[in-house]
Amino acid sequence: MSLMTMIVKMSEGLGKTCAIFFLTLLFSLPLGMIVALLRMSKVKLVSAVTRFFITILRGTPLMLQLLAVTYGPYYLFGATVARNKLIPVVIAFSINYAAYFAEIYRGGIESIPVGQYEAAEVLGYTRIQTFMRIILPQVIKRIMPSVTNEVVTLVKDTSMAFTVSYQEMFTIGKQIANSQTSFTPFVVAGAFYYIFNVIVDYVMGRIEKRLDYYR
Amino acid sequence: MAEINSSTGAAPSILSIRSLQKSFDSVSVLRDISLSVERGNVVSIIGPSGSGKSTLLRCASFLEHADGGDILYDGEYALHNGVYAQKAELARFRTRFGLVFQNFQLFPHYSVLRNVSEAPILHGENKDEVHARALELLKKMGLEGREKAYPYQLSGGQQQRVAIARALCMRPEILFFDEPTSALDPELTGEVLKVIRQLAEERMTMVVVTHEMPFAKAVSNRVIFMADGVIVEQGDPKEVFDNPREERTKQFLRVFER
Ligand SMILES: Nc1ncnc2c1ncn2[C@@H]1O[C@H](COP(=O)(O)OP(=O)(O)O)[C@@H](O)[C@H]1O
Ligand SMILES: [Mg+2]
Repeated sequence: MSLMTMIVKMSEGLGKTCAIFFLTLLFSLPLGMIVALLRMSKVKLVSAVTRFFITILRGTPLMLQLLAVTYGPYYLFGATVARNKLIPVVIAFSINYAAYFAEIYRGGIESIPVGQYEAAEVLGYTRIQTFMRIILPQVIKRIMPSVTNEVVTLVKDTSMAFTVSYQEMFTIGKQIANSQTSFTPFVVAGAFYYIFNVIVDYVMGRIEKRLDYYR
Repeated sequence: MAEINSSTGAAPSILSIRSLQKSFDSVSVLRDISLSVERGNVVSIIGPSGSGKSTLLRCASFLEHADGGDILYDGEYALHNGVYAQKAELARFRTRFGLVFQNFQLFPHYSVLRNVSEAPILHGENKDEVHARALELLKKMGLEGREKAYPYQLSGGQQQRVAIARALCMRPEILFFDEPTSALDPELTGEVLKVIRQLAEERMTMVVVTHEMPFAKAVSNRVIFMADGVIVEQGDPKEVFDNPREERTKQFLRVFER
């Protein structure tokens, strides 16, 4: 198989790679905020339970979580394994990344001085106005570098989908590598991820720059 | 509330505090604090660090939850025997006072104009009117033309003047200052004290916690000396500064002599 054929075949999986990437961000970024707020809940039980789930999600391999979400229902309830693996893959990725984002959000929220809440309170801002207008924008600016890190990691992590044979770019590459006993598909995959992350870096850099108008 | 007025028949004090109590983990920080502030007056609060001055202002502005006593604004109970008014009522009380913090607490992601004007706009006031008022206040604070700047671009003295404008834009009846110049370089305290002095001349009602003794003496109608959570002495500034009765006051003021 020529290099060109490999590239063409593998790029057919790029759509699915992008699907995992964008859908995961779409769900995990807001879900992470909900998890962060639960984690910071004044109700001890709520924060303890949330904390427990976060440690599980961060403390076990994403690969296991993918397997658990994809095949768990089959082993537990005899449910049929989803034909479209995109659904369990995105669920597993979104939950896993939400746990990471939650900790980033929490760090950001806790880094805002209490005085900001107090100044807003005295000026009559409601709690929601205070959070949405005063706290959240400052949090977003502070956590951008950490979020960028996670997004870059997510690009590379999409390759984990091969564990459940979801036909994204890396899974296809791995199959070609096996059938052709060639290492070349892995080099191609590496190049794809690298280019993807150059774009991610550029976009995140632009966003960070837009938040540079204040200190 | 009748009891306050019946004797004099005068309008109620803008703020009166009676037997205010506050503890942090069983450490008593305010013990039986009583004071009142009349319309158009400036009351200075002095005292050593840790005596409870900030806690007093924070209780009066509902940032701290007092354990006992009364807080009345214009004769209306915000705190009655250690029990606070309903949430909605507290929100209404909040519009009557403003608080200026030691470290400004401007919103760093907002321009000067937005810092000053957003709260009244959120309260439903007309945006153009609020902006006009904000610009007027900024001019008065000596910050004309700085409305588009961000807080980080301003000196500490300028930031504190923005914070004062922000508080004033809410049109409070009484303004609290918690050591407004303590976070400033010495050469910048003057410009902030000057605007507070100007407000005093316009008969703005103010309670100022400060270590600036000459300022307190010159501007206040009354000085309160606090130590260890109690009011040790209060009265006419000239009396308190030149002729303190209590040994504790003399001791405290001696440090500022030279
Ligand atoms: N949130 C808090 N928790 C525990 N102790 C506090 C808290 N705030 C203030 N204190 C204590 O209360 C006392 C009075 O503090 P404060 O009102 O800040 O004094 P001042 O403003 O006169 O320096 C101090 O001993 C301080 O340590
Ligand atoms: Mg203090």
